Amino acid sequence: MDKEQYSTIEQEISPKPSIIKNVFKAFLTGGIICLIGQFIALFYITFFDFTERTASNPTVATMVFISMLLTGFGLYKKIGQFGGAGAAVPITGFGNAVVSSAIEHRTEGYVLGVGGNIFKLAGSVILWGVFSAFAVALIKTILVKLGVVSW
Amino acid sequence: MVIRKPILILLLAVLLAGCSRDDFRFQNDSDEAAAQTESIIRKDKRIKSAAVVLYEEKLLAGIRVETFSRYKKKKIASELKKKLEEQYPDMEVTVSADSKILYETNKLIDEGNKDKLGKEIDRLTSLLKEET
Repeated sequence: MDKEQYSTIEQEISPKPSIIKNVFKAFLTGGIICLIGQFIALFYITFFDFTERTASNPTVATMVFISMLLTGFGLYKKIGQFGGAGAAVPITGFGNAVVSSAIEHRTEGYVLGVGGNIFKLAGSVILWGVFSAFAVALIKTILVKLGVVSW
Repeated sequence: MVIRKPILILLLAVLLAGCSRDDFRFQNDSDEAAAQTESIIRKDKRIKSAAVVLYEEKLLAGIRVETFSRYKKKKIASELKKKLEEQYPDMEVTVSADSKILYETNKLIDEGNKDKLGKEIDRLTSLLKEET
């Protein structure tokens, strides 16, 4: 069997994912997560001294915390199975990535298992965020010192 | 079947939340006339809701802009601030398109407590300066 034969057979056998249905599910799931986030932001704006701009920090923290709890109770995986990328792309997917890898390696001990693997998935996200923030701040500082832009 | 009713109620709540009141409110406790503020704000078609408090030397305006103008809400607020500063050169003008300011300013007008107005305006201005 050559390459082309194999690929035609593979095309015939493998089930067709219904892209439109999956996209709709992801849209719905991601949208509902963001709606919940919007309500939490509104809660912080209404009852605490946060403005629309500063409320984003506690909102993100709360959403991550909620998704961590849901992951621990085994509920987030059901949301992920239904919503796919809609559950993984919002910030809640980050909390899920941290806690699920911690749960996965729990049997290997707390230090080498949990500690060594907890940031296996999310570590690259944190590193990338910190590094890109550093790079952008460096560029902006240089531009400000040169007098091109102002803070 | 059981879940259909709560979903319906939730959808209705979300839809009805869009029907929040959009109006223009003004409260004047200063020596200046508030009519100019009113005409400046009402003339700007991009602003769909506003709450303005004038107290002694301070002017606090919380505005809500039309949905598709939200991308430019900072610019709209600074334009309005410039216009108001021209109108009231002696006053300390604060304009914000942040919904917190609109909410709190509406609350100040509802409460009608004039003793703490100055303090509250200072507090809200300091909230806007928060950088984190």
